[in-house]
Amino acid sequence: MKIIIKSFLLVSVLFLSSCATIVSGSRQNVEITSEPSAATVFINEIEIGNAPVQKNLKRNQDYQLTLKLDGYKTYETKLERKFNAWYLGNISIGGLIGIIIDPITGAIHKLKPEEINGNLKSGTTYKTKGGNLFIKVSLEIDPNSEKVGQLEKSE
Amino acid sequence: MKNFTRLLFIITVIGITSCSPKITSNFTNRQPELTVDDKIALLDIEHTLPENTVKVGELRFQDSGFSTDCSFNSLMAQARDEARENGANIVKVVDKKKPDLWSSCYRLRIELYKYNGEVSALPQYKLQLD
Repeated sequence: MKIIIKSFLLVSVLFLSSCATIVSGSRQNVEITSEPSAATVFINEIEIGNAPVQKNLKRNQDYQLTLKLDGYKTYETKLERKFNAWYLGNISIGGLIGIIIDPITGAIHKLKPEEINGNLKSGTTYKTKGGNLFIKVSLEIDPNSEKVGQLEKSE
Repeated sequence: MKNFTRLLFIITVIGITSCSPKITSNFTNRQPELTVDDKIALLDIEHTLPENTVKVGELRFQDSGFSTDCSFNSLMAQARDEARENGANIVKVVDKKKPDLWSSCYRLRIELYKYNGEVSALPQYKLQLD
């Protein structure tokens, strides 16, 4: 019986030795959608494409997220790295190696939209599912823009 | 057991808080802050600085010892934010040390300039996502 317990402990320590890296990975999939759709999405001022768009981002960095669409105010927020609770698995289960490995791979972090005084930027909603981050941005109409016409579908 | 818990706690705190590189800045001639729509040119070592620029300040990125967020692209993105805050529209790398045996980080010395010409037209480094 003692051998089984010892083996179980040893296997746990080996396999859970970098908890967050194993469970979450060093990158996080981020999907950005906009209302109205087709806003141009920039991350760190690099054009990613038109919403809805997906990008696999490294967890160990902060990112500047910008959405632009004609007739709407430019939307800006930050994707911040926050603490990934899976890191605690190293402490509770005793994966000493993981305490060092997870910060190196960046798996100690997870990306979330910036909050100021506990509030998200107006027009932002997000959810995380299966480790992926889904962000939806509702763009505000730019009061300085003026509608000059509407395209119609040709028959 | 108490010592072990303390050690775990210290390592955890270091792990969480010390991933950013050490940034030293020195601004000698701050300019009005730029907006997100103002273009900023990122000039690497091989790119030439145009004439008639005004030096705004200097930045130095070093390895804090626990830095992990220190790729060239990440440092240049941080330098651009600093430049924008301090009114500079040119980020010029003047000294670059690549990751080596002693550090896994890029270490950069950067000068920030204000230029009245069209910065988009300058030959420059194109930032990428890592």
